[in-house]
Amino acid sequence: MKKTIVAMLVAMAAMLLLVVGPAQSKGHLSGQLEIFSWWAGDEGPALQALIDLYEKAHPNVEVVNATVTGGSGVNAKAVLKTRMLGGEPPDSFQVHAGQELIGTWVKADRMEDLTFLFKEQGWMEAFPEGLVELIGTDAGIWSVPVNIHRSNVIWYVPANLDKWGIKAPESWDDFFAVAPKIKEAGVVPLALAQNWTANHLWESVALASLGPDNWDALWTGKLAFDSPEGVKAWELFGKVLEFTNDDASSLSWQQATDMVVDGRAAFNVMGDWAAGYMSTTKKLAPGSGFGWAAAPGTGGEFMFLADSFGLPKGAPNRDNVVAWLALLGSKEGSDAFNPLKGSISARTDSDLSVYNDYAKSASADFGKDRIVGSLAHGVTANEGFMNDFASVMEMFLKSRNAEAAGKAAQQIAMKNGIGK
Amino acid sequence: MPNRDRIKAFLTLLPSMILIGVFVYGFIGNTFWLSLTDWGGVAALAENPVRNYAGLTNYKELFTGFLGGGFRQDLVNAVYYSVMLLAGAIGTGLIIAILLDNKPRGEAVFRTIFLYPMSLSFIVTGTIWRWLLAPQGGVNILPTYAGLKPLEFKWLSSTGAIFEFNWQNLLLIGLYIVAAVLIVAGLMAIKQDPPRALKRFLLPGIAIGLATWLFGDLLPKALFMEETHGFNLATIGIIMATIWQYSGYTMALYLAGFTGISQDLRDASMLDGATTAQYYRYIALPMLKPITISAVIILSHISLKMFDLIFAMTGPDNAETGHPALNMYLTTFRANDFAKGAAIAIILFLIAATFIIPYLISSYRQRSTR
Amino acid sequence: MAQVELVDVCKRFGATEVVHDANLSIDDNEFIVLVGPSGCGKSTILRMIAGLETISGGEIKINGRRVNEVMPKDRDVAMVFQNYALYPHMSVFENMAFSLRMARLGKDEIHRKVNKAADILELTPYLQRKPAALSGGQRQRVAMGRAIVRSPSVFLFDEPLSNLDAQLRTQMRMELKKMHLKMKTTTIYVTHDQIEAMTLADRIVILKDGMVQQVGTPVEVYEKPDNRFVAGFIGNPPTNLLPAVVSRGSDGDEISFCGVTFPVTLPAGCKDQDQVLAGIRPDSIKRDGALAALPEQWLIDGKVVVSEIVGSQSLLEFTMGEASVIAELEGRVPAAPGQTMKLGLNLENLLLFDPETEQAIR
Repeated sequence: MKKTIVAMLVAMAAMLLLVVGPAQSKGHLSGQLEIFSWWAGDEGPALQALIDLYEKAHPNVEVVNATVTGGSGVNAKAVLKTRMLGGEPPDSFQVHAGQELIGTWVKADRMEDLTFLFKEQGWMEAFPEGLVELIGTDAGIWSVPVNIHRSNVIWYVPANLDKWGIKAPESWDDFFAVAPKIKEAGVVPLALAQNWTANHLWESVALASLGPDNWDALWTGKLAFDSPEGVKAWELFGKVLEFTNDDASSLSWQQATDMVVDGRAAFNVMGDWAAGYMSTTKKLAPGSGFGWAAAPGTGGEFMFLADSFGLPKGAPNRDNVVAWLALLGSKEGSDAFNPLKGSISARTDSDLSVYNDYAKSASADFGKDRIVGSLAHGVTANEGFMNDFASVMEMFLKSRNAEAAGKAAQQIAMKNGIGK
Repeated sequence: MPNRDRIKAFLTLLPSMILIGVFVYGFIGNTFWLSLTDWGGVAALAENPVRNYAGLTNYKELFTGFLGGGFRQDLVNAVYYSVMLLAGAIGTGLIIAILLDNKPRGEAVFRTIFLYPMSLSFIVTGTIWRWLLAPQGGVNILPTYAGLKPLEFKWLSSTGAIFEFNWQNLLLIGLYIVAAVLIVAGLMAIKQDPPRALKRFLLPGIAIGLATWLFGDLLPKALFMEETHGFNLATIGIIMATIWQYSGYTMALYLAGFTGISQDLRDASMLDGATTAQYYRYIALPMLKPITISAVIILSHISLKMFDLIFAMTGPDNAETGHPALNMYLTTFRANDFAKGAAIAIILFLIAATFIIPYLISSYRQRSTR
Repeated sequence: MAQVELVDVCKRFGATEVVHDANLSIDDNEFIVLVGPSGCGKSTILRMIAGLETISGGEIKINGRRVNEVMPKDRDVAMVFQNYALYPHMSVFENMAFSLRMARLGKDEIHRKVNKAADILELTPYLQRKPAALSGGQRQRVAMGRAIVRSPSVFLFDEPLSNLDAQLRTQMRMELKKMHLKMKTTTIYVTHDQIEAMTLADRIVILKDGMVQQVGTPVEVYEKPDNRFVAGFIGNPPTNLLPAVVSRGSDGDEISFCGVTFPVTLPAGCKDQDQVLAGIRPDSIKRDGALAALPEQWLIDGKVVVSEIVGSQSLLEFTMGEASVIAELEGRVPAAPGQTMKLGLNLENLLLFDPETEQAIR
């Protein structure tokens, strides 16, 4: 009898603690916050700026900056997966916004819906509508985008174009009109690097060929890859490939950019991290040292990719994470991070004065353009599709058979449940 | 008393037996089980993922499925890679060891120089060779120092392939190989024991060869479409880097062996009329057979497990230089196809076993006859 | 079947010369033993003849042909090594056949030759075994067989018996001797064991510090050693060497050592009052019945230090004056330490050496 009373008292005390605990810590959080990312190199300072802000606001929280190096998170994703499978999720982890997160983690029911946070913070209005759609599903919104990169950009050096007497192409037909001439002069019309950059180029070409509506239709399953439109995209891509360098697969994307900078190539389609590379590493002034335009045939369209952070179910320090995510989506946070990372803010109201010329123009486009998701960087398709797509791309690079590539792409789309 | 010793020995071994049982064989078993399931796809990473028994579907898909083409090329790569690495690293190491065994001036310095690459990690080696084999640098510009035109070969990105065969005809080729092996074995044995050689090797070999030639068209195709695989020229770069790294190791193995052979044996062979080449051919190398065997086993394992070097040299998605180990990693951790990844792991495991098990059996037999 | 000639042969390893101007002429069919303490250069000489060491100076000729620059395999010599140097991965047959294979002989001929050699050496039952499965004596025979099959002009043996136990060694020694008598091949045999040298050799070459000390038949080197070293090295126990003074008087020659003067016949090389070393073989010391055969002046009193009975002989250490002397006596001589014993010195076999040059005085 006595024992039961003691047990009941203990249980009540525990419940009290559970109820009161979180409420109390709301104002002054404590404990730890583990942030899992692959931002170790050039992106380190940008992440650190966010952490500094966070630590200033929540001095009692110990931030554990767990980075696993490796571009595009190749290694980090594997570590993350083993940790999640082992039931030891980090508090918050970096992930490409969109299907890469949804297909892997949301479908596996490992993420918390963040709709409450979006509403609470007023982000539904702050972020463009198309963006919220692409990073969420019917069941919720799953991550907070920290930055926005643009995939469909073509880069060049204005002085070189003047020398060769050409202009940045507005469509692929424009490109095909000048490309043979450049090629004859011994200059590579379009610099390409190792395999993932082929995927990257493909999405710009496919977007140009299909148009944004059909592009979206591909990913909702309404348009098949082996439909006439889909095959046409592959055909155009094959034509574009004829004007690329044949040693592509042994170059890094920086080396392909170097070809443009050195005048060995005329153009390069790459994401806008190339702007950071050219202005910071190559010390070229945006606008005069290097120029840019939307990839041919994709003017008025903004193919985006975003890094984001989410809240895994079972995160050890949930409240700390929520505070972290709130910071990421805030104007203050995103304007501290993005100028350093070389990206733009996902918010439509960011303070453009702290950004460079390229970012200003990209921001302006982001506010007014039609927003579509990137395939190569995980917005539109899940990881299974992306992995298989690398094989299809390999096949196409070898065979240049548009029909077969379209069929193969459709097969892997079915297999990986694209549009379901 | 011996009984008590046995118990003690057993108790001493028990912890490692349990640990190895769980962490090696248990996990192999678990991987095998996973390879028979359908774990993968969208909900693969759920807290309690659904894993249905799927039989040999994963294996079937890898060997005959539409999307297994990459894996099949990787497998072919791995075979060529193993063969070339074995021949290259053992041959080079052996030649260096023989040169050093004849005590040139500065032998100790050379030994260190040749052994040094061994101490580098594959990532470092891979990075070095990636630069050396860059299309417009390193090896390719070497001829320009002699006033010649630079080489144009794309070491790591060439799409050319030689020794190509059609995967559809896998069964056919397999049978031809079996026939060839039997005939060669028969010809080798015919001098010692003609009737046995004829009965065991030659006749069945010829029969299989003929039957395949005559009725090969009736064999089921391994694949529904034509799919050629071959020795990708781009792997030459990877092979070169691995040989560079491991020939020093085989050199050290052989050199230690050579040094261990009594000078008298060499003298005796000289008096018996053997040239230096004959000494190594007939005396030294046969005596070092155990070293050769361990070198073959170690190197074939390395080549089957090769991952970091390829990753560092050509990145994860360069299909020309792909390797099953890399494919396994990407299939598992990028595509979230855990079951198929497990199947690749098991296939690699079985290939490794074909190298190891004959060795284990022969060394076990040797021990029991002693 | 071959003569071997060494003319001023020397061998240098860097600055150290280990063989100095060795001169030796070996006749056809002769059994020559090179003997000396370790480090005397005997093995080096053998290896130079075999061609395993380069020759730093001088000339080696086999059958009159200069072989300094000739490869070992072309010298027509066969060698048996101390540790046999059998190829461990080959069967006995393959070991013996190896040189024939290298010479590209036909299969049948190889079989014939190897089987014949195996027959002579009684190795036929072991032909398919590996060396590891043989006893020491059998391995030794395989090593010999390997040399025999080639029927070379010259056999070279490098301490072939030293890895065998004492009994087997004696037995193999006899077999070697018999085989040489049968095959009559010129043989050069290196050993540090003077008994092997004495029993096997037609002629012995005694070496010390890379220099030839004496060349002669076993009897010659025993009875007429050219110098103090040879006297000490050949014969067991070694020759007793005692400081002595000689005198040549009108009534005959005399020698004094250990305070005793003995009448002797001195060789021509001695001058009056020369200081010499008197060498007395232990077996030149007699007792009891044998004393009667000696002149009375050659009898002495010895004080026994210790006595060892070895089979039918006895080794006796005694003092004579200040000096300690060893005698090898016939029969079993029971002697208590301290006991005085009547002994006789057979000074007919007296050896005399110059104490300065250590050369024999003749």
